[in-house]
Amino acid sequence: MTDAALPVSRARIRVWDVPTRLVHWLVVLLVAFSWWTAENGRMEWHRWSGYTVLGLVIFRIYWGIAGSSTARFREFVRGPRATVGYLKGSWAAAPGHNPLGALSVIALLALLAAQVVLGLFAVDVDGIESGPLSTYVSFEAGRAAAGWHESVFNVLTAFIALHVVAVGYYVVVRKQALVAAMVHGKRAYPEPLPQPVRPASFARLLIGVVLAAGCTWMVARAFQFG
Amino acid sequence: MQGPMFRSAVLVALMIPVVNAATPLETQKARHEHYEELGKAFKAVRDQMNASSPDFGALQKNAEVINEASVNQQQWFPKGTGPEAGKTRALPEIWSKPSDFEAAQKMLADRAPKLLAAVKTKDIDAVKAAFKDTGGACKNCHDTFRSPEE
Repeated sequence: MTDAALPVSRARIRVWDVPTRLVHWLVVLLVAFSWWTAENGRMEWHRWSGYTVLGLVIFRIYWGIAGSSTARFREFVRGPRATVGYLKGSWAAAPGHNPLGALSVIALLALLAAQVVLGLFAVDVDGIESGPLSTYVSFEAGRAAAGWHESVFNVLTAFIALHVVAVGYYVVVRKQALVAAMVHGKRAYPEPLPQPVRPASFARLLIGVVLAAGCTWMVARAFQFG
Repeated sequence: MQGPMFRSAVLVALMIPVVNAATPLETQKARHEHYEELGKAFKAVRDQMNASSPDFGALQKNAEVINEASVNQQQWFPKGTGPEAGKTRALPEIWSKPSDFEAAQKMLADRAPKLLAAVKTKDIDAVKAAFKDTGGACKNCHDTFRSPEE
């Protein structure tokens, strides 16, 4: 097949930077791992998994403010009018989240944050296993946090399912290689090509990693350093 | 000696244990509360273990609660207080395998005094090790004799 056979020439441009993709797939792995460790009573691993998710959530929020262009909330979170406009088809394909995808990012990130915070305060029925911050709350409050930790997990699972179904629809019906793009970071666009992702500097990445790791370490120690 | 007074007295005497005895549901509720107290004591010990400067007074108080419960719990499972009596996570195996259950309960009764002893040495690393052992006794019994959480 020659280029002439193509109605429009297309080229691949970079859409997602490495940190954004890495956070995404690590969260996928760790949510699954957290579920498995909780089901099998491997609570030491469950805590480590939760700390890592906490670090990733902190980093992702920071990256949504100071990261690469397509990771920034200001760049992709749209109002209801833009979202309705998108649904009606008046949306120019641009690298990054579409207005619906933006809602998915916000919902999943918020649920993940809620889930991790609840886990930090949770206490098991025997008072033996607990999140590090449970030391600041009563047994009853810790038990309530554990109950919510379970409820929010169900909501999170439902949203993950919705996310997977939506992505599946875009891949299968609308022929958009979204999963591949989240893996290698690139997507094909017709000419004239839109602006690719504007990456953030290495210094900003370093600040984010130190910030996320530092906050997580302090939380895991329950702010007690002695 | 065989008059109506005597017979009434015998009858009353026979009734005393019946009147005093808790119903199976009451026993289940009391048992649940006892274990909740035990859970609180475990949390309190864990809280102190994680503190930058542990309060050994609080540790001793809670280690004593655990120690007492480890002995008392052997009375918390009278016959007829299993799932047949009401909603409980206590499994029928408690009553169908009494010697296994007794051994599982004894494991806690053996280990809880060691936790208390470790607390008295004021060596937090020894407390952590003993806590892990004691918690292990809980888990050991729960794995076999308590149904999983819903």
